[in-house]
Amino acid sequence: MLLAVSAAIILSSCTTTEIDEFRQSATTINQDESIVILGRRQNNNYETEESFVGCVADVVSSGQNSISVIDEREFLDAMFPFFEPRTAPMRTGHLEQLMAVDVAAEKMEEFGIEYIVWLDGITERSDQSGSISCTIGPGGGGCFGFGTWTDDSIYEAEIWDMDTLSSVGSISTEANGQSYMPAVVVPIPLIARVEANACSGLGNQLKQFINGS
Amino acid sequence: MSSTIFHKTANTAAELIGSYFSRAGLVVLVALLTACSATVINIEGSFPAPLVQKIPLTIGVIYDDAFSNHSFIEINDTTGDDQYIINSGASQIALFNTMLPAVFEQVVQLDNMESASNYGELDAVFLPAIEEFQVGLPQKTRLNVYEIWVKYNMRLARANGDYIADWVMTAYGKSPEETFQSVDAGVNDAANVALRDLAASFTLGLSNIPEVNEWLRSENVLGE
Repeated sequence: MLLAVSAAIILSSCTTTEIDEFRQSATTINQDESIVILGRRQNNNYETEESFVGCVADVVSSGQNSISVIDEREFLDAMFPFFEPRTAPMRTGHLEQLMAVDVAAEKMEEFGIEYIVWLDGITERSDQSGSISCTIGPGGGGCFGFGTWTDDSIYEAEIWDMDTLSSVGSISTEANGQSYMPAVVVPIPLIARVEANACSGLGNQLKQFINGS
Repeated sequence: MSSTIFHKTANTAAELIGSYFSRAGLVVLVALLTACSATVINIEGSFPAPLVQKIPLTIGVIYDDAFSNHSFIEINDTTGDDQYIINSGASQIALFNTMLPAVFEQVVQLDNMESASNYGELDAVFLPAIEEFQVGLPQKTRLNVYEIWVKYNMRLARANGDYIADWVMTAYGKSPEETFQSVDAGVNDAANVALRDLAASFTLGLSNIPEVNEWLRSENVLGE
């Protein structure tokens, strides 16, 4: 039991996270201003998970130096149809065109949005190997085997300033880790928290970036 | 007395055994029927009103039976049986009933083209139709997404039936496959994305359809 717990602590911490920041302009935000974090969903092969966007929003809007974050779904519905996968501005030039539309500019003003953050990326699972078989009978049941897999998270956040309608910088994060699932009667999941680490790393860096620190 | 009781007990045991087997049979029968029958998926969702400048015109809209009761059957490739029946008619109407009043000043729902003459103020009658409906399931496409693709035929006519415009629109929606997610939920999410996609293209692209643009200009509701 002690061995399993020790192994769990050692193995579950096998996640590496790398964060890179690129700043183009100075940033600052007031207490009465907000940001919105949106996931990119125009790609054919993947779309940024709504859960990851929500996770980053939670990190940015909590703790020290927290920033007010507009809920993604609320924003998309209120700005409909301007931020849908096929109509969302891909570059700041498109944002400039969008802000020339009165109804869109008025709604954006209503929200008091200072920065738009675009999140683009995905968490993928690879290198799955091993097998676990479980049986159940009148006398009870149990599992036996071993499984392992690797998770890779790659995300980039691009920050657009709504005052200057330009990009002020970007933050990228890359996290990976190996998870294990030994099963001796009971499966013991030793999960590498890859997406969670990418989320907290990116969220905290984003908070610092926008606060200008 | 005791024999009566014994007889009664024996009867009860026989009844119990009979009841057990009939119940077991019923369970097996239900399981078999469930395994063979198609799963019905009713698309449900709510849609936001588009944020656009209203066109100051009154239009009538006709949802024919094929549109309002639209149903798509996905066939099981192995058995050839119906696998999923996807009913999207109700949500299609919900979408158009939200979208059209946001685009036009006034919208009147009509039963048929003949009833259009009862409304003197109608500038045009709009008739949407679904021409094709396709679904992509992860179990078949080997992709990690549920996909819905719909091809629409949109028609716009004057109240007297004269042609204004006839154009094709496509809508696409995808939803990532999630752990422990049911097929119903995956298809529903993808369909909702597709319906939003249609509303986005319709509201932002309507005046770019050449015949519609010409009609709007003739009604003096579009700048030069």
